[in-house]
Amino acid sequence: MNELSRQQRKARRLVFNISVVFVFVILYIGFFRIQVAGGEKYYEISLDNSVRQLVQYPVRGTIRDINGQILVDDRPSFFVAVIPRQLTYKTIDTLARIISVDPELIREKIRGRRTYRPVYIKKDLKYAVIAELEERRLDLPGVLVEVESKRFYPEGVYSPHIFGYIGEVDKSEAEKNSDIEAGELIGKKGLEKKYDTSLRGTKGVYFVRVDAEGRDLGIINPDRNIEAISGMDLYLTLDYSFQQFAESLMVDKRGAIVALDPRNGRVIAFVSKPDYDPRLLSGKISKEVWSKLQSDTTHPLYSRGIQSVYPPGSTYKLVAVIAALQEGIITPKWTAYCPGYFKLGRKTIHCWNAKGHGNIQLREAIIKSCNVFFYQLGLKIGIETWAKYSMMFLFGQPTGIDLPNESRGLVPTYDYYIKKYGPNGWTRGNLANLAIGQGELLTTPLQMAQFAMFIANKGVVHRPHLAHYLYNKDTQKRLFFPTETNYIQGISDDVYDFIREGMKQVVAKGTGWLGSIPGIEVAGKTGTAQNPHGEDHAWFIAFAPYDDPVIALAVIVENGGGGGVVAAPIARKCMEKFFYDRLLPRTYAIKDTIRLDSLENLPPIDIEEVDRLRIGRSE
Amino acid sequence: MPKYDYITLGLTLVLITIGCFTIFSATSSATSEENGFFARQLMWCILGVLVMIGVSLISLKLINRLVYWFYVFTLFLLFLVLFVGKVGQGAERWLIVGPVHVQPSELAKLATILAVSKYLSDKYADVNKFKYFAIAVGLILLPFILIARQPDLGTALIFLALIIPLLYWAGLNWFHIFTILTPLLIMILSFNFWAFMILMISIALVLAYSRRKPIVLVAVFLLNIGVGIATPYLWDQLRPYQQQRILTFVNPEKDPKGAGYQIIQSQVAIGSGGIWGKGYLQGSQTHLRFLPAQHTDFIFSVIGEEFGFIGASLILLVFLLLILRFIHIAAVIRGQFESLTIIGILTVIFFHTVINIGMTIGMAPVTGLPLPFLSYGGSSLVVNMMMVGVVLNISRNKFIH
Repeated sequence: MNELSRQQRKARRLVFNISVVFVFVILYIGFFRIQVAGGEKYYEISLDNSVRQLVQYPVRGTIRDINGQILVDDRPSFFVAVIPRQLTYKTIDTLARIISVDPELIREKIRGRRTYRPVYIKKDLKYAVIAELEERRLDLPGVLVEVESKRFYPEGVYSPHIFGYIGEVDKSEAEKNSDIEAGELIGKKGLEKKYDTSLRGTKGVYFVRVDAEGRDLGIINPDRNIEAISGMDLYLTLDYSFQQFAESLMVDKRGAIVALDPRNGRVIAFVSKPDYDPRLLSGKISKEVWSKLQSDTTHPLYSRGIQSVYPPGSTYKLVAVIAALQEGIITPKWTAYCPGYFKLGRKTIHCWNAKGHGNIQLREAIIKSCNVFFYQLGLKIGIETWAKYSMMFLFGQPTGIDLPNESRGLVPTYDYYIKKYGPNGWTRGNLANLAIGQGELLTTPLQMAQFAMFIANKGVVHRPHLAHYLYNKDTQKRLFFPTETNYIQGISDDVYDFIREGMKQVVAKGTGWLGSIPGIEVAGKTGTAQNPHGEDHAWFIAFAPYDDPVIALAVIVENGGGGGVVAAPIARKCMEKFFYDRLLPRTYAIKDTIRLDSLENLPPIDIEEVDRLRIGRSE
Repeated sequence: MPKYDYITLGLTLVLITIGCFTIFSATSSATSEENGFFARQLMWCILGVLVMIGVSLISLKLINRLVYWFYVFTLFLLFLVLFVGKVGQGAERWLIVGPVHVQPSELAKLATILAVSKYLSDKYADVNKFKYFAIAVGLILLPFILIARQPDLGTALIFLALIIPLLYWAGLNWFHIFTILTPLLIMILSFNFWAFMILMISIALVLAYSRRKPIVLVAVFLLNIGVGIATPYLWDQLRPYQQQRILTFVNPEKDPKGAGYQIIQSQVAIGSGGIWGKGYLQGSQTHLRFLPAQHTDFIFSVIGEEFGFIGASLILLVFLLLILRFIHIAAVIRGQFESLTIIGILTVIFFHTVINIGMTIGMAPVTGLPLPFLSYGGSSLVVNMMMVGVVLNISRNKFIH
């Protein structure tokens, strides 16, 4: 059975012979077509020397606000490139003189690359230089003038911490992504980085015939060309006129404003000051500008909204209240006595009100932000419960906003203190401090805005995001990003009602009264955070309207002073602009001074420092 | 004294000689770093001839006895290379033993052919029974999977190409071949509704005339429909970069990173050779080094440019004669194992030749498969010579005179 009969083998042999000959005949036809029928054409091409592969760069997508107003545009810019194989020493010298660079620099760039692939030499050529290069084209075989796009910002557009910037790809990035070649531009920071692939588009390729002088003899075979695909336009969730207004409130300050729409997590405003003019970093970045920005002690390159971490101060008392009520540790009736100070062992810590608040109940303590009350409450709650609730409310972890390099903040735990300070590292004093939002606890302004959204929504947290949708010009389709929603379980409605009511009272008659606006009920909490860098940081978090919130925000002014005096009025102006599109006249005098005299150029807390702490902790 | 097959021997020697000359031309105007190619290829050729003669003279019984050990050994090497292998210029991987760089996937081709042939030449083996069919295919799929993971997809696919010729020669009937081939066709055509419908109708017609049991007919029909429906769905499940990788494999001209450039340059070189060619060492495209990989994968472009249509046709003819000669030997030889082995060997050489040469004129995907006997490279040459040695050995012992 296993050996085929002679007859069967014969049949199968025939099938094999026919198949093999058939395939070879096809190959013969192929050779005939290009060598005999097309031989002339190809021979001519080969005489002309060669085919060159040229890259067609896509137009980078624009960034626009929710109304379609262009915030970041793309404009052509000329650069010069060379074909290393076609260069002579004379050409290099001539080229170097025209574009005024050191010939050595050109030689350095093409060293070891004996290819026909163009190599970038210089960008942002002036029109006079382009004209001269074009005129002397015959003397410059192997030199190409090409066009690429450069970022352009319309007048009045700043917000560098939202947009970020683009720059030449560096080695490690190029290795990670084989589509990108040296010298190309990619997003380096901000939205430009986060949505780089979508904004960048796809490079095209076309093949042209060139002669020995590198002159373009036209397209060789249009079928093989691949068109570049333009990048998509990015539409943001914010209205830029409101963003501009919010930025104007912070011009002379250091700090941040983050405003979110609690219904969907959209960013309404994202301000980080001081900042820089994004035009400085569009296209070629000059060394002086860069080093000046980097060495500036006010850290303008820092995106404070997401990168700087601060102790949240009294705003964080809300966490202690929720934890204590939910765990049944206290009832709203619980009362503490505040003589203006609190003795813990041998140490005495003071309330901000040195006269003391007397016998004070929970709600009153929130409204008046009594420290002594919360020292005692903190001791009752304990570190485990406190840390559990902090993490549950998403502190100590990135919010996942669509901006790169977000800091995670820090929620210290019992283990953290033991690891950092040794076996006796944990003291009850730490807990008293943490309960009032001081000590090692660190949060970003965005996390605080997210916390305001959490309370406004009674547990529903939408991931904050700046990107509304991407618009594809070719297919005319809009690509929406889904809203990511997270419901934080385990807090009862009674607790939410109590805490929200408390926040309403804070603004109505408590420390946050300067944050109130006519006609709309605002709920908020002030914070005045002591810090090792001088004057207190002023905090205010709020949401409004009380019954059906459409805005949740956090304001911080670094070393600004009292939260109620400095931060709350800024939030008030934001909300007035948001709800009424103008500032309302006040019926009472406001002491709204900023203590500029104490304003020193001190940096915010360095996230790298915090990261180091975290690493140390996990070891 | 049995007769030596001088036709096979002669054709092989012609091919490796042409290979050396062409490599000399392809690298003669190269920079110093590439100077050694010709000398090294010459050395490999001498080694290859020695291996070929050696293999042709050892006892066929011994080969037969060692087949499975050889197979297991190469599988082990393939496994090893996944962990300690060095990735070459393409996706292939190399084992480095002292000064020797070995590509185990080359050796695996011969080992797999021998193992499957031996298995199917067993007295009781019947490829039309599922058990034997499945084990034979399994023997091929094992090295296929290991090589595809390297991930040298081009070489791996050569293993799949072995399945049908080997099983067909071993007696697989046309209905089973039909059952294997139709889902593959369906897979390709399932993206076009009308092509899919027409194909399904033809399948139904063929099935209706095949006079098999109704249950078998329904099963084959349903299988085809299932594949047709599942393929577009599975395709959508792939991530865009995976889809891109597959599309680039099938249609490399659309890969903006270079395959299109290679094909254009190769076509210009071959086309400019015209009918008579530019003459040995006279190819401008070759000597100005516009051709990519002109001493390895694109060596046939050099032949096309320098020897023209006449030269290219003649060399194609040598390949064709060699393959037809193998088919002849396989048909007249005694012994199933020997016959199947030759079929496997000629299948590998045939696919390598056709895909490599087809690639140089833009008719086949750029897969990085070398041209047997001509492309520069030790592993490939020595294993090809070893295969010819096996054919010579078999023809020496089993010819029916």
